Amino acid sequence: MKLLNKKSNSGRKDIFSQITIIIALLVIFFIGSAIFAIVAGGLSGFWENLKSKEVLFSLKMSVVTATISSTIVMVLALPTAYALTRTTMPFKRLSGLIIELTLSLPFILLGLSLLIIFASPFGKWLKFHGVKIIFSPLGIIMAHLLVNLPYAIRLVKTAFEGIDRRLEFIAETLGATSFQCFRTIMIPVCRTNLVSAFILTWSRAMGEFGATLMFVGITRLKTETLPGSIYLNISTGNNEAAMSTAVLILIISGTALFLSQLAGRNKIEQRRQVDDR
Amino acid sequence: MSKIEIKDFSVRRGLFELKPVNLTINEGEIFAILGHTGSGKTVLLEAIGGMFPGDTGQILCDGIEVLKIPASDRKLGFVYQSHVLFPHMKVRENIEYGMKMNHFSKEKRRAVSEKLMKMFSIYHIKDQYPGTISGGESQRTAIARALALEPHILLLDEPFSALDPSTRNNLYEEIRKIHEKFHCTIVFVTHDFAEAERLADRVGILLDGELLAVTKAKELMKKEYCDKVELFLGRK
Repeated sequence: MKLLNKKSNSGRKDIFSQITIIIALLVIFFIGSAIFAIVAGGLSGFWENLKSKEVLFSLKMSVVTATISSTIVMVLALPTAYALTRTTMPFKRLSGLIIELTLSLPFILLGLSLLIIFASPFGKWLKFHGVKIIFSPLGIIMAHLLVNLPYAIRLVKTAFEGIDRRLEFIAETLGATSFQCFRTIMIPVCRTNLVSAFILTWSRAMGEFGATLMFVGITRLKTETLPGSIYLNISTGNNEAAMSTAVLILIISGTALFLSQLAGRNKIEQRRQVDDR
Repeated sequence: MSKIEIKDFSVRRGLFELKPVNLTINEGEIFAILGHTGSGKTVLLEAIGGMFPGDTGQILCDGIEVLKIPASDRKLGFVYQSHVLFPHMKVRENIEYGMKMNHFSKEKRRAVSEKLMKMFSIYHIKDQYPGTISGGESQRTAIARALALEPHILLLDEPFSALDPSTRNNLYEEIRKIHEKFHCTIVFVTHDFAEAERLADRVGILLDGELLAVTKAKELMKKEYCDKVELFLGRK
């Protein structure tokens, strides 16, 4: 009987492993086909495309807007996640639900809601006072904020929830205020998670397309981000340039993923002491 | 030194319920909370420390409700069974943390931490992180950290459970010395009768969330108790 159980267990494990391997192979197939298309078309064309004014512009636009928006997102996510995990604020649960609601909405809808707000008299008033948001890089940052803020809050919240509350209790008995606990205990204890959260948020902002397209539109050499560049080039039949940009995004995303994994490696060692209950 | 008064205090934590406790721990006393695993000893200790409010009753520290005293002014040191050292700080930084939060000068911090590290024989690991030191060293670091601000109350959650017999014996002596030197009220949690008898002045027996007996440590095995306590003491 035991042997039978063992057999059915290992059989189940085999199915799980096989599904995992199939998914991994599919990912390799999809990504590999893009890389293969570039290599088959000749790498010289790839380098030429990467050095083009358009790709360099979109790269700069993406890096600058993603870095600014991710920094703002993290600055906002830290206190929000703290309030949602460590305080007894009124309507905490409801606030958490509302904030996370945007996670389940299509990005294009988020872009549309931004467009409605900033195309209103309020948006016109801002424009009159020199703050141009629609069809400007500022709009790209706004779109990134709306799309990434709930995502970053969830990541930071998970990081904070993983911290042993007894560390804060001990710190408080030693004279630390809530803010000192936050600054000297919570942030340093989960700093690797926070670095990882920043990298993932940045990476997501680099690839954001739907909300940006709806809110800012994609104008060549004006509001052209890397995903926008792919879209424009595919629309005009310049597939080679689109593929080169796609591979560039792939390299950036791969590097970001590697860095976030690297950042997370130390956390197990750090937690060993804390979780040793 | 501080007097702790627990009046009809009860609390529910998840599925566990601490039934109303009435207890007075005198100034300068060493009090042991004795009970088996899951009996609510740590919950009671954390409640004394003011970690959470109760459902009924109150806990007073020198006549003032503990939750109404800001955590930083409670003058208590807390040591957990698993030490709960700050993992991102070196041993020295762990010990100096409280002094830093209380704006002690760097010289004063250094002087106090070095004295404590020498007292607890952990000076050689002053620049090491908690993840790289042994259980005994970790325990002594946690106690040194709790003592750095000369607390009036020292709360110890099974402080000796993870230690080998020789380290445990040394720490018994150190706790005695701490008591003599700092004159603080010490409350410690244990499931070891011998430890309670050896270290404490009085012992409270807490079983299944209920404080069933309070007695002088010397009389722990001499007195008669209800069936539940007798069973716990292995006499029935």
